[in-house]
Amino acid sequence: MKMVRRREKILFIFVVVFAILFLFPIVWMFITSIRTTQDLYKYPPTLIPHALTFENFVYIFTEMGGFVRYVVNSLVVTISTVLIVLVSSAMGGYAFGMRKFRGQNIMFTMVVGVLTIPYIMYLIPIFLMEYEVGLQNTWLGLIFPYVALNLPWGLLIMRGAFSTIPLDIRDAAIIDGCTEIQMWRKILVPINRPALAATTIITFVFAWQEYMFASTLMTKNEWQTLPVGIVWLRDELQTLVMGRVGAMVIVTILPVLILFFIFRDFFIEGLSEGMLKG
Amino acid sequence: MKQLTKNSLRDRLNLAFFLFPTMLFVIIFIAFPVIFSGYLSLTEFNYASDPAPQFIGLKGYIDMVKSDIFFHTALYNQMRFAVAYFLIAFAVSLVLAIFVNELQRGVQVFQVIFYMPMIVPMSLVGITFAWILSPDLGIFNHMLRLLGLGHITHDWYGEPSTALNSLVLARTWKMIGFTLIIFLAGLQGISKSLKESARVDGANFFQEIVFIVLPNLKPYMLIGGIWILINSLKVFVLPQVITQGGPGSATLTLYLYSWKLAFERLEMGEASQVAYLTAFIILFFTWILNLIFKPETAQKG
Repeated sequence: MKMVRRREKILFIFVVVFAILFLFPIVWMFITSIRTTQDLYKYPPTLIPHALTFENFVYIFTEMGGFVRYVVNSLVVTISTVLIVLVSSAMGGYAFGMRKFRGQNIMFTMVVGVLTIPYIMYLIPIFLMEYEVGLQNTWLGLIFPYVALNLPWGLLIMRGAFSTIPLDIRDAAIIDGCTEIQMWRKILVPINRPALAATTIITFVFAWQEYMFASTLMTKNEWQTLPVGIVWLRDELQTLVMGRVGAMVIVTILPVLILFFIFRDFFIEGLSEGMLKG
Repeated sequence: MKQLTKNSLRDRLNLAFFLFPTMLFVIIFIAFPVIFSGYLSLTEFNYASDPAPQFIGLKGYIDMVKSDIFFHTALYNQMRFAVAYFLIAFAVSLVLAIFVNELQRGVQVFQVIFYMPMIVPMSLVGITFAWILSPDLGIFNHMLRLLGLGHITHDWYGEPSTALNSLVLARTWKMIGFTLIIFLAGLQGISKSLKESARVDGANFFQEIVFIVLPNLKPYMLIGGIWILINSLKVFVLPQVITQGGPGSATLTLYLYSWKLAFERLEMGEASQVAYLTAFIILFFTWILNLIFKPETAQKG
């Protein structure tokens, strides 16, 4: 028993060391963001900040219109994508999970088969399409592809959820005089709240993080989202100090981090379902 | 059910209503692009100078595979990346999972800590690691100097010999949580009594791992391993943000080469060929993954 206890202590220390290493990049970005510029660009660098300041956070929100614009773009694109995916996948999930129609299985297999296609295959044709139609550098130009890439995941989750609902519930509602659409909206969709939550998380995290499509389709800076815009600023603005970049990184990940801690299990489950993405 | 199907026209209209959004998005933004880029890959098409794609059949593919030096470089880098990433990500997440699983308390806390990087956008992971590993002001080199290891400091992303492996490091940090959770799920399925009886028989920790834990973990190791493999072939953001494929072309990956062909040189035909070749490689591994995943998901449903 003593042996076991000692062994656990050693393992515990090992895991703690790894955990600290894992936290370090995020913590270091935070420390960077609250340092003054002189403190940051001293050589040699120091681990512990000598002067603390929140000036960087104030600065990026008050003096950098570009950053505020990215926040708006990211919010608009992410929220719209999530909403459209939720409605569309709840509709499609119902059709595939509770209705019977000809070609159902083939259609569903095809939609799910889409999940395995690497995103690089869509990028060039979608770029050309959007260029010809004039969707580049618009919110919709990002929302549409994001919806299309996430909808199959949502559909997979929602079909699973709908197919577990007993058909009696539906028949009872129809006998009570509901139309099919009313019944779907008022009875079936509320039952599936957990599946909708999982779909929300997968879609939200994707749209909030996405870089490849956003950087390719949004060629003008004012339309870029946070992950793209921050990189653009870092590369283009000679006067931008690292403290401000750090502040922008923290502002981008903090809301998601807070949500992650509140809805931990939902997140881990939801994210794990979408892990073939890319 | 019966009542619905009798009322045929209305029923069909309802069905069409429910399927409409899915079909709209899938056809316009998924099916059409896949077919269109397949067609483009059989053409020669410079978007700046050619008015329309010129059909050349498989010639583009043959030239690409046979004689495009950058394609060879990208394929080579991609495979080197995949091997390094596979070994590191697999080993670290397996060891961590085994250790975390042995702890009596705090399992959930550690799970959260190791999963956390997954919610940081990849491009910002790039910015963060580029800053930490930067040659002069980077804290990593500074720590090495403090520890008296100044002679192994590098310009980690600026030197061809270290750039690719430094990208592997950043990606491992972001992605490891997922395999860790797969492995933990598998470990929690191994019965305590099995391990205890081994302990009673006098097995030490190391023997217990090798003879009891690892054999029982095999299916999970297979799933996790193939997932890492597929994941390791889709590398775009980190080299784009940190090194732009450089120095030279030391970090040019397949995704990145396709992107550069398309959006720097506007060679849409060649770019589509690289995209399709990459997709074939990935789909091959995904197919294997699905073969393995299937029995498990069938059990769940």
